[in-house]
Amino acid sequence: MSERRKFLKKSGLLAILGLAGLAAGDRKAEASNVEQWAMIIDLNRCTGCQSCVIACKAQNKTAPGKFNTRIITEEEGTYPQSRILFTPVQCNQCEDPPCVAACPEHATFQLPNGIVVTDWNKCTSKGDCVPACPYEARFLDPRHGGKSDKCDFCINRLNQGLMPACVEACSEKARLFGDMKNPQGEFAEYLARSGLVTRKPDLKLKTRVRYVPSSKSVKGGVL
Amino acid sequence: MSFVDGRYVERGKTLSRRVLFKLAAAASGAVAFGTVSARAAMDWLDPRRIQKAASTTRDDGVKVIHSVCLGCNTRCGNRAVVKDGRLELMSGNPYHSYNHLANPISYATPVQETLGLASPVCGKAQAAPQYLYNPYRILKPLKRSGPRGAGKFEPIEWDQLIAEIVDGGRPFAGLGEDREVKGLKALDTDDLIDPKAPELGSVRNTFVFMTGRLQSGRKEIIDRFVKSSFGSKNRVGHTDICGLGFRMGNWAFTGQKEVELKADPWGAEYILVFGANVYEGLQPGINVYAAALANRHSKGQVKFTIVDPRAQNASCHAEDWIPVKPGQDGAFAMAMIRWILENGRYNKEFLAAPNGEAAKKHGNACHSNATHLVITEKDHPAYGKFLRLSDLLQEKVDPKKDPYQVFPAAGKDPVDSSKVDTAVLDAEASVKTASGASIAVKTAFRLMKEGVMERTLQEYAELSGVPVEKIEKTAREFVSHGTKAAVCQYHGAGNYAGGTHAAYAVAILNALVGSVDRMGGYNKSGGGAAKWDKGLYDLKSFPGKKKPGGVMISREKAAYEKSSEYKKKKEETGSGYPAKRPWFPFSKGGLSTETLSGIDQQYPYGCNILVTYFFNPVYSIPGGYRFVETLKDPQKVPLHISVDTGINESNLYADYIVPDITYLEGHYGWLNPHAPTLKFTGVRTPCVEPLTGKTKDGRPFSLETFLVDLAERAKLPGFGAKAMPGKDGQEYPLHTAEDFYMRAIANIGFNAKVPAAPEPEVAFVERNYPVAKHRALLNDDQWKKACFVLARGGVFKKYDDLFDGEMHKYGIKKVYLYNEKLAQARNSLTGERFSGTLKYTPPVDSKGKVIEKADQGYPFFMVTYKMHVHTQSRTTSHRWAMEVVPENFVNMCAADAAELGLKTGDAVRLISPSNADGIVGKVQVTNLVRRGCLGVSFHYGHSQLGASELSIKNAESVMLGGKEVAKKDRLLADKSLGTGLNPNMVSRLDEGLANTPLVDVIGGIPDFSSTRVKVIRA
Repeated sequence: MSERRKFLKKSGLLAILGLAGLAAGDRKAEASNVEQWAMIIDLNRCTGCQSCVIACKAQNKTAPGKFNTRIITEEEGTYPQSRILFTPVQCNQCEDPPCVAACPEHATFQLPNGIVVTDWNKCTSKGDCVPACPYEARFLDPRHGGKSDKCDFCINRLNQGLMPACVEACSEKARLFGDMKNPQGEFAEYLARSGLVTRKPDLKLKTRVRYVPSSKSVKGGVL
Repeated sequence: MSFVDGRYVERGKTLSRRVLFKLAAAASGAVAFGTVSARAAMDWLDPRRIQKAASTTRDDGVKVIHSVCLGCNTRCGNRAVVKDGRLELMSGNPYHSYNHLANPISYATPVQETLGLASPVCGKAQAAPQYLYNPYRILKPLKRSGPRGAGKFEPIEWDQLIAEIVDGGRPFAGLGEDREVKGLKALDTDDLIDPKAPELGSVRNTFVFMTGRLQSGRKEIIDRFVKSSFGSKNRVGHTDICGLGFRMGNWAFTGQKEVELKADPWGAEYILVFGANVYEGLQPGINVYAAALANRHSKGQVKFTIVDPRAQNASCHAEDWIPVKPGQDGAFAMAMIRWILENGRYNKEFLAAPNGEAAKKHGNACHSNATHLVITEKDHPAYGKFLRLSDLLQEKVDPKKDPYQVFPAAGKDPVDSSKVDTAVLDAEASVKTASGASIAVKTAFRLMKEGVMERTLQEYAELSGVPVEKIEKTAREFVSHGTKAAVCQYHGAGNYAGGTHAAYAVAILNALVGSVDRMGGYNKSGGGAAKWDKGLYDLKSFPGKKKPGGVMISREKAAYEKSSEYKKKKEETGSGYPAKRPWFPFSKGGLSTETLSGIDQQYPYGCNILVTYFFNPVYSIPGGYRFVETLKDPQKVPLHISVDTGINESNLYADYIVPDITYLEGHYGWLNPHAPTLKFTGVRTPCVEPLTGKTKDGRPFSLETFLVDLAERAKLPGFGAKAMPGKDGQEYPLHTAEDFYMRAIANIGFNAKVPAAPEPEVAFVERNYPVAKHRALLNDDQWKKACFVLARGGVFKKYDDLFDGEMHKYGIKKVYLYNEKLAQARNSLTGERFSGTLKYTPPVDSKGKVIEKADQGYPFFMVTYKMHVHTQSRTTSHRWAMEVVPENFVNMCAADAAELGLKTGDAVRLISPSNADGIVGKVQVTNLVRRGCLGVSFHYGHSQLGASELSIKNAESVMLGGKEVAKKDRLLADKSLGTGLNPNMVSRLDEGLANTPLVDVIGGIPDFSSTRVKVIRA
C-alpha cells in the first residue's frame, strides 16, 4: 500500500470518527454528503437480450442458478396481436427495506448512499430476509453456507468509479444509473420525467429502482 | 463522483476509491446501528470478496487489452481484464462504433482516459472466460484409435501428426485398416483429376478445406495455404448455412456486387424486418442493431414491423407482427410491390434516373436499371439480355463501352442510358436497327411489373398466409416515410429452395421507395478503414504462388454447360440435361452443404483429403445428419483432419483432430463492419497466452502452426524462409503466426496514416498486450503506429463522415430490377432459364415438386432460429448462458397446442418425411409463433462437446479441465451439455438427389424453412 493511500485511509478513519451526527442517527445530514444512487429502467428500450444478467454473473460470480438480476418474460395479447414483454428485475434498494427489518442479526443494512448490503460476517444463513423481500430479489448462496445474497448496485465498481456491470452491459441504454442528488446527462432527463413507476405499486414502497413502462404494452410491463 | 452518460466524472481525482468504499461502508453501519456498529461495519464482509468477484479495469495489477470479439461474428470491440495471466472480465471497446450506437468516443482520445468508461458487450461476449477455459477443450493433437465415429482417440506427437498428413501411407494399419492413404505430398501434382474432363482441374482440387466460423486474418492465411501455396480451388466457406437466401436476393439486386445490405438503424424512420431476428441474432447483432432499434424506438425515432413466422423478441417494441407462412416472404413482398405499383406510390424520380450522374442531380448516390431496355425478341441471339448500342448498329462497338439503351422522355428512338437525366420507366416497344430489323424490347421495370402482376393481391394473400388488409396496411406504411424506410432482411427471408427470387423481391422494395444508399435507407457496409495486405509488406504475392483452376467440388460459380459431362450427354441424348447434381453458375458461393454432397456422391470428382476448420456440419447443416455416413466412409473421405478446440458431432468422425486456440489466445484479424453503413477495421490480438501445447520450438498448437509445418514439410512455397516481400526489398520468413499477422497490423497502421502512438500508449500496449512480445518483428516507427491502432482495438470512422449530405459515400451505386446474368443462367437439372426479374417461386425439391403439397401428411412447418445468449453450435460451454436458458423447446401456437391437448413441458417427438425416428423435445405453448408452425432454436440437443463419454488415452492430460472432466482414459460426460433438441436433425432431405440435404437450384441455398413434421406425444 502506498504512503499516500495509507494517509488517506488514516484521514478517512478520522473523518468517520468525526462524523458525530451519525451517532445521533442524523441520517439526513449524512446522506447529504454522499451520492444517492438510483436506477431507472426504460422498458421501451429493453430488448430482453440478457446481457445485463450475464454481466452480473460475470462480474459478481453469484451462485449457479441464482441471479442478482434477471429478466421476467411474459406474453401479452392474443394471437396474432401478441407480443413479448421484458422486465428486468432485481433488488429495488427500498428506502425502508423489509429485508432489513426481517434480519434479527442486523446483518443487512442500508448504506447512506441508499444501497442495501449484507455483511457476511454477521449473516447466519437463517434466511428470514429472503421471504421478507417482496421483489424476490434475495437468495441464499449454497456455496457459502447459505449466506444471503442480492444486488448491491455493484458497490465495488461504484467505488472504483465504474458503472454497475448490468448498466455497462446494456447497449441500448435501457438501464440508466446515477446520483439522484447530482443527476447528469440522460439519467437526469429521465429522473425529471413524470410517469416513472415502482414495481408492485400496491406495496407503496419507495425504491431506488424505477421503471418507464413500455408504451407498446397494454399493462406496461411486469410491474 | 458522478456519471455523465456512462462516463465517470472524477471529483476527488487523487482519492483512492478503495478508501472511499471503506468510508462508505463504515458510515453506513453508523447510520443503522450507531457508532459501535459503525466501527464493526468498517470491516463488513462484502459477499463479493468471498465469491471472488472478477477484477475490473480499475484494479491494481490487471492488464487491459482492446481487441475484437468472436462470441458471434458481429465483430464488436471488446476490452479484456486479465489478472495474473487469466482472463477475468470482458466489456466493450469505447472506440468501437459497434459498442456505442455508432457514436463512440473520439478516435484521438488517449487510451489512458478510457479505462473507466462504460462500454457494453452482449452476454456471448462476456462469456469469453467460460469459452476460453472450457474444460472440454483439447490441448494435444488426437488420432483416431478406433473405427470412425467410435469415439476413440489417442494423443500423438505434433511432428508425427505433420508427417502422417504430409507423407500419407498406412497410418491406420494398427487398426486393421490396410488402405493406402494419400498424403498432401501425393496430391501436390498438376496431373488432371480426369483427362477426359480437363475442366475439373488438377488433383490438387481433391484437397478440400472447409471453413466454419472464419474471419479475416485466418481467412487470409488459410487461403494462402490452400489456394496460393497448394493450388486447390476447394477452400469452401459456409455462406450457404450462414444465410445464403437473402444474400442471393441482394446478389441479384446489386448485379453480383454485394450480398449484404440492410436498413440503416441509426437513421431510418421505418424498418420492415424480413426474417431477421433483430433482437437475438443478426449480424451486426444485439449489441449493435437491436441496441440502435430499441434506443431510437424509445425516443419515437424509428418504427418497425416484423415479417416472420415467429413474432421474435423484437415483438416487444414492434409496430406490428406479420406471421408470414414459411418460405413465402417473396409472396408477401410481391403483394406489397403490386399494391405500390397499382397505387403509383413508387419513387419515380429515383427509378427513372438511368445513370449515376442523373441520380446525383436528385441527391441520390444510387441509380437503378429500371429504365434500361431488355431484348424480349425470342429468336434474337441476345434474348434476355439488355439492349446495347451494338445491337442497333452494324459497325462494331467496343464491348467494354457498349452502352445500355433507354427511351428518352420525349421521342421514340432509344438513346444511350448515359445521355439523358430521365428515361421512360414503364414501356415496351419494337426498336429498329440500322439494318432495318426490328427487336422487341421492354424496360426492366415493365418486366418486373409483369412478374409481379402474374398474381392478384388475393392470390398472394393466400400464398403468404397474410390477409389483404394487412398487406395493404404494411405497404402504405412502408411508402409513407420517403427515403427513410428500408428493409432489414436476413437469414429467414430466403433460406429455402426458391429463396433467391423471394429475397430479390424483398430487396426491390427498397428501390421502389428509393432509399438505397441513403441515410436511413438500404445500405451496404462502408467497408474497412485500411488495407492489410499492401503498404509496408506484400502479404499476398510470393515466388511460386499458384493460381488454382478447375471446378469446385460444390460446383459453385461454374456452368454445367461448359462441362465434359454436358457435352457428352448432349451428344448421346440430344439434350445435355439433367446434370447428376445441380451446378450453381449464379451463386455467390460458399456452399458447404453441396461440398459435402459432392464429396458423398464423388461428383464431379472424389475427395482425397478433407480438412474441416472450426466447423460442425453434422450439427449445423439442416439435414447434416445425412453426412454421418459420408464422413464414416473411407472411400468417400480417405483422410479427414479437423482443426478445432474440442470434439464435436462432426470431428467425432475425423482421423486427426488438431487442437486450436480460441479468439482470446489468437485469431489475429482485421474485422470490417457488416452492412449497413459503418466503416472501420477492428484489430484482434490475443488477450492471454495460448493454453494449448507447444511445438519443440515453442510455437502453440494452433491452426497457423499446423499450416506452417505442413507447408514446410511438404516444401510448399509461401511459407518458411523468404516468404513475404517487404517494401524495403527484403524477404521475410513466415514461420510463426505473428510473422504474418504483425506485418498485416503494420500495414493497417501505415495505410490508415495513424500517428505514432505517444509514449504512454506505447507503454500501455507493451505492458498489457501479449502481442508486444513480438514487437521486434517491426521497426520502431512501424511498432509505434501499430501501438496507436492496438491501443484502440482498430481504426474507426465516424457515422457522420460516411455521408455526403444524405448520400452514403460507400454505397452500391447501382441496383438491378432485372439481372441479365441471372436470366442467362440455367437450371442444370432441366435446362430451363431462370427469370431475370421477379417471379413467384414456391419452395420445391430438385424434381420441381412443391414441398408443402408433397409433405402435407406432416401438418406442421418447422422453423428454426438463434437465441440471444448463444452462437450456433459452439456455446454450451457458456455456463452463464446455460443458467439463463438451460434447455430449448418446441414452440407451438396456443391454438395448435389446445387442439393436440398439449401443454408447456409435455414431451413430444417431431417426425419428418426424412427422419422417421425424429427428435424429442418439450413443448412451450406460446402465442408468438404462427399457427401450423413450430419454432425450434439451435444451440441445444448436443451429443458431443462434453455431452457424451469418450475414450481418450490419457484423457486427463489431453483435456484442459484435466481431472474435472476426465478419468484416466475416459472423457467424462456432463449431461447438462446435452439438453434440448437440434432441429437440423429432422430437416428435409431430397430423395431425388441421393437423399442429400435439400438445396435451392439457383444459389445452392440449404433449406431451413420447408421441413414439415408430425408431432406425437413422447
